[in-house]
Amino acid sequence: MPFARRTGYVNPRLGTYFGIFMSAFAALALMTLILEGLGVSDEALRLMMFLGPIALYAAIGIVAYTQEPIDYFAAGRRVPAFYTGLALAQTALGATGLVALTGVFFLIGFDALCMVIGGLAGFVVMAVALAAFFRKFGAFTVPSYLGKRFDSHVLRLLAGGILAVPMLLLMAAELRIGAHAATWFHPMPQSVAVMGLVATVAVTLAAGGMRSLAWSSAAQSLAALIALLVPVVIVAVIVTNLPLPQLSAGPVLRTVARAEAAQGLPIILPPALAFDMPGEGLSLIAKRYSDAFGSVGPLAFVIVMLSLASGLACAPWLLPRVAGTPGVYEARKSLGWATLLFGIAMLTIGAIAIFMRDYLTDIVTAAGPVRFPPWFETLQERGILTVSAEAGRPTLASFSVSRDDVLLSLPIVAEMPAALVYLAAGGVVAAALATTGAVAVALGNILSEDIVYGLASQPVKSGPRLIVARLALGAAAALAGLIALAAPTDPLKLMLWAIALTGASAFPVLVLSIWWKRLNAFGAAAGLATGFGVTVLAIVAGEAGLTGTDGALAAAIGLPAGAIAAVAVAYATPAPSRNLLELVRDIRVPGGEILYDREMRHHRRKKL
Amino acid sequence: MIERRERKPYWRHTKWQMLASLVPFLAVIIVLPLYAGRLNDSRFMGFPLGYFLCLHGIVLIAVVTVASFVNRQDAIDHWHGAHEDV
Repeated sequence: MPFARRTGYVNPRLGTYFGIFMSAFAALALMTLILEGLGVSDEALRLMMFLGPIALYAAIGIVAYTQEPIDYFAAGRRVPAFYTGLALAQTALGATGLVALTGVFFLIGFDALCMVIGGLAGFVVMAVALAAFFRKFGAFTVPSYLGKRFDSHVLRLLAGGILAVPMLLLMAAELRIGAHAATWFHPMPQSVAVMGLVATVAVTLAAGGMRSLAWSSAAQSLAALIALLVPVVIVAVIVTNLPLPQLSAGPVLRTVARAEAAQGLPIILPPALAFDMPGEGLSLIAKRYSDAFGSVGPLAFVIVMLSLASGLACAPWLLPRVAGTPGVYEARKSLGWATLLFGIAMLTIGAIAIFMRDYLTDIVTAAGPVRFPPWFETLQERGILTVSAEAGRPTLASFSVSRDDVLLSLPIVAEMPAALVYLAAGGVVAAALATTGAVAVALGNILSEDIVYGLASQPVKSGPRLIVARLALGAAAALAGLIALAAPTDPLKLMLWAIALTGASAFPVLVLSIWWKRLNAFGAAAGLATGFGVTVLAIVAGEAGLTGTDGALAAAIGLPAGAIAAVAVAYATPAPSRNLLELVRDIRVPGGEILYDREMRHHRRKKL
Repeated sequence: MIERRERKPYWRHTKWQMLASLVPFLAVIIVLPLYAGRLNDSRFMGFPLGYFLCLHGIVLIAVVTVASFVNRQDAIDHWHGAHEDV
């Protein structure tokens, strides 16, 4: 089609640019290591490892400045599969995933798998059931997609309003974890750290929106992946002589398991719906590492897994990234990369937890009187680790460990140079920036495109449209910062709630909008509202102790309720028009022009 | 561009591919963890087998599922002429 502007050109120098970024990042880390050896003050090193990478990300974001709506909202549709997949994997995991999940793995072992398997399954479901069609449609936000797919402004507004809630919760969680990691660099009040992160996100992304996000978050994801891998690979070489912690942790786990049995760590048989996640702060090592089901019951395990899978598969902060790929095939492929990288991250998190348990096990199983190594004192001073002061020899069960500090403690425990601690903490900050940025851009776009301009039937001029979008981006980030400060809740809990709410409200409607032609606007609105309402009630009831189950399991009734409401209301109301049926048929075929771009072109021609 | 009469067979083919990719994968991730306790009695590479399969095994299955889906769906697109004309 000669009249259609082709957008799928990938920058041939992309690899070079990211090569330069990686060299600069590695040089910065090595320089910090060298300066530490030369005796430069600790304060200078911290500043270097904290501000250096942030300046790099901000530079990438600002250089990606744009005035074109297609660049601002969809990164010009030229982000190749690998970069999209990398950013998707890291955005889905986020700083909460990195930090809190490592801690949860360390404290309850096997039971933490429900969350990582859920995330992984989310990518598989997204790849198979949603990604290609969302890319073919080409909408910039999920509410825009729903609004145009069902030709309903009301649905668009409703979806925008509903989906904004989980996105704000998730951003608040990420900001809190990011601020916690920032305090590893410099002791500062949480409010300062949160507002600093909000400002960084706004400065990095306001210039180019999704375009800035695509490239800066690819860089942040690389930094986070390196920060996750490097310390544990070094530990693996020290402990097992192999630089492959994901596999070589096995024999280590064997000794840990023997010690756990010898120390009499309890075997717990939980009720089927138990969901007992360690909270923020110090928690006791609750159960043996590889025992299945101690803190989480079997039914709760499956529910949380499916809730996370459905929530991430339709996440309004992940799906728009897919719309930035050059084609439908690339969109599917990007999910392949995302699955692989998310898988590597979850294997690594598991290995970190095993090595940390091994270090603690070594203390209590040594022959003779228990002697605490120097790192133990360091962690105690920082309030990360305590040992109960009961008389007699301490056992594994007498240690309490701070959940959100397990990841960053590993380099200290392995007695590595301080530069590596800062590298790891910098990775967590990068992950927090990547996820906060992704959600802020997605929410900013929803606020501007679907709420402010949601009722406009004609496309708006690109000048005011981008100004509103930038203001909305700043407002979204600032609002999330205020929530993080005003209502401090456990970030892991916030993340679980946010994903449960997303899955219960949007998943049935999004899947049915592609796979079931009979769904109409009424059904979609009913599905969204019912899923959201029921889940909110279930979370509130769970937290108030009315149902006796945890709020994280709320999607178990919210999602089926939403799906049933969508189907029932769709059958009770008139069938969709021929135009809309034709639109669905178009969405289902990968070939041909991007539907959203086609519509915009028609509007422009009508105006001329 | 896809021909009009190819649309139905194309969508039927796509639906079966979707089910063939998702159903076995979802079955595995739901059922496998429930039997992990029993599998943990034997070991593989030092890991208790149940833990190993639930972590490493499921990652491998997920990656293979998506990779094979991308490959198969692309073949389906080309077979019915539904692919992108780049």
